[in-house]
Amino acid sequence: MEGMTVYLFTYGYRLLKEILLLIGYFMIFGKCGAKRYKAFIPFVKEYTLSLCADREKDGRAYTVFSGLQLIINVFAAFIPKESMFVRVLGVCDIILTVTLLVYGIRIYLGLAEVFKRSKKWVVLFILFEGVICLIWGFSSKFVPYKKIDSISKNSGAAVSGVSADTISSGLSVNITYRRVIDFFRKRYLLKDIHLNIPKGHLVLLLGGSGAGKTTFVNAVTGYEKANADIRLDERDIYKDYKNMKYDVGFVPQQDLMRENDTVLLTLQDAASLRLPSDISFRNRKGRISEVLDIFGLTAIKSSLVEKLSGGQKKRLSIAMEYISNPTLFILDEPDSGLDGVVARNLFEKLREIANTGKIVIVITHTPDRVIDLFDDVIVLAKDRSRTGRLAFYGPVKEAYDFFQKKSMEEILLSINQQDEGGEGRADEFVEKYAELLKRKVG
Amino acid sequence: MQDKKVRHKGRLAQIFIYLGKLFRMFIFQNDWKVLPMAAIIAGMVSFVLGSSLFKTMEGTKMGTFALTCVCIWNGFFNSIQVVCRERPIVKREHRSGLHISSYIAAHMIYQAFLCLSQTVIIILICKIVGVAFPEKSMFFEWSIIDIGISLFLITYSADMMALMVSSIVRSTTTAMTLMPFLLIFQLVFSGGFFNLPDNVLPISNITISKWGLTVLCSQGDYNSLPMVSIWNNMVKLKNVEIGGEKPIKDLLIEVEKEGYNEWIMKQCGNQNQDPKYAFSADIILNCWKYLILFTICYAMIAVIFLEFIDLDKR
Repeated sequence: MEGMTVYLFTYGYRLLKEILLLIGYFMIFGKCGAKRYKAFIPFVKEYTLSLCADREKDGRAYTVFSGLQLIINVFAAFIPKESMFVRVLGVCDIILTVTLLVYGIRIYLGLAEVFKRSKKWVVLFILFEGVICLIWGFSSKFVPYKKIDSISKNSGAAVSGVSADTISSGLSVNITYRRVIDFFRKRYLLKDIHLNIPKGHLVLLLGGSGAGKTTFVNAVTGYEKANADIRLDERDIYKDYKNMKYDVGFVPQQDLMRENDTVLLTLQDAASLRLPSDISFRNRKGRISEVLDIFGLTAIKSSLVEKLSGGQKKRLSIAMEYISNPTLFILDEPDSGLDGVVARNLFEKLREIANTGKIVIVITHTPDRVIDLFDDVIVLAKDRSRTGRLAFYGPVKEAYDFFQKKSMEEILLSINQQDEGGEGRADEFVEKYAELLKRKVG
Repeated sequence: MQDKKVRHKGRLAQIFIYLGKLFRMFIFQNDWKVLPMAAIIAGMVSFVLGSSLFKTMEGTKMGTFALTCVCIWNGFFNSIQVVCRERPIVKREHRSGLHISSYIAAHMIYQAFLCLSQTVIIILICKIVGVAFPEKSMFFEWSIIDIGISLFLITYSADMMALMVSSIVRSTTTAMTLMPFLLIFQLVFSGGFFNLPDNVLPISNITISKWGLTVLCSQGDYNSLPMVSIWNNMVKLKNVEIGGEKPIKDLLIEVEKEGYNEWIMKQCGNQNQDPKYAFSADIILNCWKYLILFTICYAMIAVIFLEFIDLDKR
């Protein structure tokens, strides 16, 4: 009889807690702009709560660990209780419970922040989860200061519906979209980007954080394929990626080199990887010394990489890619950490490279000090659906007229979202440029 | 439209490029320090346990277990950080045409060199300290070579396990956090030194330590050695008085006087035979087979995981 009472009390308590949680979540989701029915779906409800708390990553982890715990419990139910394996599963269960508790605390901390409430509420959430959720759900005193970004509700800026013609000499980019499936949600990273870059052009790639600059570069180089047609001198980069990747040089933002190698050995190894295997030893040696000369590294060729200055390391990093003499050369913030004079010298070098008939695309956050060296500018902006869109592509001077601004920094400010301190006019310019493009195409 | 078919360095050529890099790192980037470290650890262990190693059953089990641990420790330390510390560089190079299989193969060759050097150092140190290696050998004229192969395979297998971990994790901090867990797992689940419950015993089959301990005990002809623990325990009881007399002490004196003490220890050993440590070519080859199998599996897993390096967050 006593056992029965304990049993009823335990399960009655659990049931009551679950009912309170369901109702509480149902109401909280409504306040946060999430779909209320998600409160009834196991796992989805915890994840949605994390979205309400602006702790999406923690919510993912929580959902995954909850799933694991469920699997373990199901397994344990089918295994004889005296089995050693049940004990192992029991240990795993305890580990997961502790992990879930930590992630739960993180989510509730986020919820307290979003609802602008004291963090002390987290303790109450842990102890009396159901009741507290109910209070937060029903009381009009608990209101979030921001709602879930409902990306799916926003269709984003209008698309141009035109595409760039393939040019015989240069880079033709026609990106319809670049999409990822992220934790059961489709997210568009890039959409509707069409442009042609002729050879010999030094192009600035401008955009605020999250505008999709690196995604664009990766899509163009074929490193992360998009729904797109990318052609370099009419050759399809995606179809012939294996061969064409050597014709595309990408210099990452960080100087990713082995510190304890010398400059010469670093370049020699880069040449061994990137140059064709049938090139003679003499020609390879000649190319290495030519590149050392171009980037002013000859005098320090025997120095260890760790002994180089920031500017020298950057030049070596660029030289490593330039060794294969690529037609398309892309640099991600090559001037980060460099002072004005050194940065200027570097960009002048890039200008010289472009003048040899290469296409050089540069991402930089401080373009105004070297803007006179650029031919064109690509402006990428996040539209209201948080997708990277083309807000402008053309000569630098035309960009000033298009945006009615006097500097690149001002342009950047105008397209950045308001919560990032910008003017939030991205959609306006994306649509304006789409119209311009349509008129040009006729 | 011009269709350019340009060939670049293949897998084999890339192995040599990376081997060059790794040996340069050995000289310039303090990788060489794993060799004196191996000497220090081997020295400590052989000073403490060397006197009874390959002389008594207990000393052999304890000593070979310690030697196995030294090898696993060396192997782990050799490569636990080698890939994860340069992961962004590998990602960049992969983008530029690096074959992951070549990269891991270069590491395998380089690590084999390190493990071999460490094995030689361990044997030298043991010799210097005065460890008496078994007189009987199975495959070569000198037992030192047989045992050397085992020590190398244990070290190399542990090394490849660490290389696999280093290829899976994305930071040196994670790798170094995981390492003690792996080490404890190897020590606890070896199944030879600590008694494991029957239903957990199969887990020991996937540990390097089990096969390492088994092969070294087998090569040390464990079953032919005397068992001294019973004698030592009796010595501890020598002062026990029964009816005002010390019969155990009297017995021990009598046995020693008659020269039966070694016979007793030998008999004790004969009654405690462990078939899995028998001095047999089959057992030794089986252990080697498992260690090589582990090595190959770990290397393959390392390649598979590293192939996904492009998915690393920017």
